[in-house]
Amino acid sequence: MATWRQRIRPEQIRELSLVVLIVAALLIFAWQIENFLSARTFNRIAGSVAIIGMVAIGQTLVVLTRNIDLSVGSIVGFTAYFVGAQLAANNDMWPLAAVALAAAVGGAMGLVNGLIVAYGRAPAIITTLGTLAIYRMLLINYSNARTVTVDSLPPWVVDLSRQNLLMIGDFAVRPLIVATLVAVVVFQLVLGYTVFGRRLYAIGSNPEAARFAGLPAQRIVLTAFTLCGMLAGLAGFLFLARFGNITAVAGQGIELESVAAVVVGGVNTFGGSGTALGALLGAFLIDLLGQGLLRWLGISEFWRDALLGLLILLAVASDAVLLGWLRRLWAERAEVAHAR
Amino acid sequence: MHAAPVLEMRDISRRFGSTQALDGVSLSLYPGEIHALLGENGAGKSTLIKIMTGVHQPDSGQILLDGRPVRIRSTLEAQRLGIAAIYQEPLMYPDLNVAENIFIAHADRGPWVDWGRLYRDAEEILAQLDVRLDVRQPARGLSVAAQQTVEIAKALSLQVRVLIMDEPTAALSAHEVDQLFAIVQRLRDQGVAVLFISHRLEEVFRLADRITVFRDGRLISSAPGNETTPEQAIRDMAGRSIEQLFPRRDTVRDRVLVQVRNLGRTGIFSGISFDVHEGEVLGFAGLVGARRTDVGLALFGIAPADRGTITIDGHPVRITNPTQAMRHGIAYVSEDRRGLGLSLPMSIAANITLPALHRYLSPIGLIRRTAEIAAAEEYRRHLSIRASSVDVEVSRLSGGNQQKVMLSKWLNTRPRLLILDEPTRGIDVGAKAEVHQMIDDLAAEGIAIILISSDLPEVLAMSDRVLVMREGRQMGIFSRQEATQERVLAAAMGQSALVTG
Repeated sequence: MATWRQRIRPEQIRELSLVVLIVAALLIFAWQIENFLSARTFNRIAGSVAIIGMVAIGQTLVVLTRNIDLSVGSIVGFTAYFVGAQLAANNDMWPLAAVALAAAVGGAMGLVNGLIVAYGRAPAIITTLGTLAIYRMLLINYSNARTVTVDSLPPWVVDLSRQNLLMIGDFAVRPLIVATLVAVVVFQLVLGYTVFGRRLYAIGSNPEAARFAGLPAQRIVLTAFTLCGMLAGLAGFLFLARFGNITAVAGQGIELESVAAVVVGGVNTFGGSGTALGALLGAFLIDLLGQGLLRWLGISEFWRDALLGLLILLAVASDAVLLGWLRRLWAERAEVAHAR
Repeated sequence: MHAAPVLEMRDISRRFGSTQALDGVSLSLYPGEIHALLGENGAGKSTLIKIMTGVHQPDSGQILLDGRPVRIRSTLEAQRLGIAAIYQEPLMYPDLNVAENIFIAHADRGPWVDWGRLYRDAEEILAQLDVRLDVRQPARGLSVAAQQTVEIAKALSLQVRVLIMDEPTAALSAHEVDQLFAIVQRLRDQGVAVLFISHRLEEVFRLADRITVFRDGRLISSAPGNETTPEQAIRDMAGRSIEQLFPRRDTVRDRVLVQVRNLGRTGIFSGISFDVHEGEVLGFAGLVGARRTDVGLALFGIAPADRGTITIDGHPVRITNPTQAMRHGIAYVSEDRRGLGLSLPMSIAANITLPALHRYLSPIGLIRRTAEIAAAEEYRRHLSIRASSVDVEVSRLSGGNQQKVMLSKWLNTRPRLLILDEPTRGIDVGAKAEVHQMIDDLAAEGIAIILISSDLPEVLAMSDRVLVMREGRQMGIFSRQEATQERVLAAAMGQSALVTG
């Protein structure tokens, strides 16, 4: 009895409970909705989780340092359009170069955020609210009310969202979700096993102690924002591959969805705890609930944002109440165990 | 001449955990009298003030106001009873103006602000104190002295009968002190009872009608100001009982590790010069506000010195950030475990290895968890940190065990100079003895230690030599034989005449 309690930390309970919630939601929807457990549903969720999940990983890095990045939606939109326009103009562009371009453009935008927050000492929420508007404005100016269309893109781009790498029964594993899963594995390792990852947690959980330990806090925050921008840039590329038709409003609202995924995924908004895997699970749960409830209750798409908002509030409330309660319980058990 | 005391504390006791902060203390404050309270750090002065102002409740004893027993359950209630306190750092609302700050606590002025009346009333109160201050000026940018005047005006506006002043002169210039004293004397003449707390003996003897000395939570002496002397007051303050005098083993001091000459930081401290040898414990003694911690922070590069030299192993070094300090083998264990020291949601192991993570990397740059945990495990056993494993979050540990994690964390940087800032504050007697044992062991291993502690018996017992500071200045360095409680206290209070005597 005592051993599993010592192994599992309250934060991991959060991830386990997410898995339980996901399974429960799947069962309820499968029972209530005809044909819910179909390849079509799965592929739809996978396509959208690929994009939100990629952004949520970056958002996790930033939130771990007690900051937030609201400009990710604009970064996704801008890179999707920008890379789409380049590919449309030059159909022979090497695929890897297109991906690298997306990451570089997003990274540059994240770098600007990071410079302002880390070195300008401006609050992240205000800074990125500003750049949210500015990056969107850049896109509107750059696009000049034109649209990137599927027909203008080289065929390999659009194929990314249709190609089946692997079939498990009727379920298709497609490149987009694979890219995001790879990113999750990479950043799960980065957070758990690198100096940078450890420092992210340290800065988020106690910035003053981090300063006393000689950690370069500004540089680490800058890196977190830059990586967040790069991942949003990559998500922009996935967005382009998924939809093909890109307008000036592409990616709007992704900032809300990514924050929701991160918060529901158990990343502490006061910094210092959370994982990339949790953020992905959060993104998955949100999308699953969105798809399921829309079909089950027959509610309109407009309810989606309200649902997101509700989930954020629920997650934050359960963070404060439930996690606190769990921690107390754990502490008592630990004391009892120690007394023995 | 005094008919009856306005406030009478009778047989007050208060305990915090294992510390008896106040032990059967009785004290009477008379109208029109300035009563000074003296005592070393931790003598129980602050606890008494907090009981008077309703922050703490006494475990036993009685409080009488005008001869009637009262209970003071909150600061608001204290205010209503006419008891107010002002502190070294006044609590102002910086964006409100002087008049608003004076009347902020008033609930009886109606829901609308009558600005004309507000300014008139404020000016009237300031006139009572005979000070000129623009009542429309925002509090931001006022000098500390002016802010204190506003606090006093605020107290006056609430019909104060007992005014408690806790170290009000610590941040003032000599001229401002004179002005403050004029105001205090005017208040006394108006019949206010003043309780005055200061570490500056000359001020106390200049101002006070009665002088009371506390030690170890007890009242040691209380006498009219003209019937006692500074020498007597210091004798009363010293002589603290030493519960468990730790037997330090003899150390060999032959190799100077760090040489500090004329170190200073503008406006904070100046003229600090000392040597620390390998294997030596150099104690830093002084009262609150002596700026000992600031010297530690300067050596560690958090708030770097801007004057003077630091020499390590004979080489002059410049230390402007903690990374440089660590590179020179300096570690600083802060007194504020929660605020500055530990990352509470992280595990014991992650906390211990944080400043030296680069030692636990595999060739491809990933953290080797096994090596990390093995290192942390060793500290857990060596310092007997009580936890089921090193994966436990630090937030779940007791204060004493958190302190040991802090020490482990900094010992793991393999320091040559270890700065310990109040290493035993707020931990229980058992853990305290363990920390003392560890200091002795570390010194025996050849680590140079600077021990900053407000616990005078602790500094004297643990140190090979004691450096005494007072208000940012070095008052002297005493050898183990010379360092008696009287001498160190006299130096800490600026009574240098007594030091040689």
